Amino acid sequence: MEKSIETMWKEGFLNSNALIAPKINDIYNQKSIHIIDKFQKMFLFNIWGIIIGSSLLFIASYFAGAVLAGSIVLIMMFWVAYTAYQELKSLEKIDKGQSSYTFLKAFKDWISKSIDRYGKMYSAVYPVLILVFYFGIWFSDMFAHKREIVAGSSNDLVLGLHIPTTIIVIIMAVLMSIFSKAIHRKDVKTIYGGILKKLDLALAEMEELRGE
Amino acid sequence: MSNDFYTSSILPYAAIIIKICRAYTNNQQDFEDYYQEVCLQIWKSRNNFRAQSEWSTWVYRLSLNVSMTLLRKHKNNRPSLASDKLPSEIWDEPRAFNDDSLKQLYAAIRQLSEVDRGVILLYLEEKSYQEIADIIGTNPNNIGVRIKRIKERLKKILDGKIN
Repeated sequence: MEKSIETMWKEGFLNSNALIAPKINDIYNQKSIHIIDKFQKMFLFNIWGIIIGSSLLFIASYFAGAVLAGSIVLIMMFWVAYTAYQELKSLEKIDKGQSSYTFLKAFKDWISKSIDRYGKMYSAVYPVLILVFYFGIWFSDMFAHKREIVAGSSNDLVLGLHIPTTIIVIIMAVLMSIFSKAIHRKDVKTIYGGILKKLDLALAEMEELRGE
Repeated sequence: MSNDFYTSSILPYAAIIIKICRAYTNNQQDFEDYYQEVCLQIWKSRNNFRAQSEWSTWVYRLSLNVSMTLLRKHKNNRPSLASDKLPSEIWDEPRAFNDDSLKQLYAAIRQLSEVDRGVILLYLEEKSYQEIADIIGTNPNNIGVRIKRIKERLKKILDGKIN
């Protein structure tokens, strides 16, 4: 080594363009794209989770002797997965070329609209799932013995169903339908809470930056 | 971040930020990301600045902390600590270095651990042992020995390449 490191350091920066500051622009661009990419990955992962989970449930229902219930659940969950896939495609339409702030705002709007659309869908999905599970399990081959026991010990029966239990399940299904949007919002918060928090923080920071 | 804050409180110290960010990145894209992140963190932390130290010392500290944090996140930028040789491909970006010796020195510095990079950068910026210890958060008595060791390692890396 001919020169000392101190000399290399000092002389290196003389007449050098190494100290030209890069332009500060679109400071959040990378961050915002990262947030949405992460969300998309999780969303896609969940769609596959629904498809695989409902398929496994269908197989289980076959062995439990409740194929009809399993088929209804499978169809409902495939409908949910298909709707989610369409939602994901609409998310990809958000223009990434706009400013980070507008981009993230558009993403947040998409989440709100998506929760609304899902809420409407789940107002049918939740009660159907509850009722199908209830009737499906009760009338499955697995429960044949239990049905006989209840039939022998209770007078509150209609079509082989225990009336008070059935009323409770129907009330639950109706309530789930009424509060479907709130329940779905809670679900979203549980699954995507971390990302949504980051999104809110980034938007708050950007609004502060814009206000300075 | 207002233009005023950037022009008055960051731009005059841009050289510090640039020198540090270049030591923690391997390409222009990462360098620009690190630079922007440091500027953003300086702006966000501006109210935490206590006039007990110089603003420039504050900028050094923040630049190092942010760069080290980002380096830990971006595992692909980690140095191969076992290697005492310069990498076969050295960042050759005309906007970054038009001086070959400086380019080699930076490549050698990037072979050091994240803390050693900070120590040697501060030493090369002619900071006293006390200042280096304050910025890094260590005992000033150990700084001299540490610098000696780092310089020996750098010399070994550079000799391996140049001679």
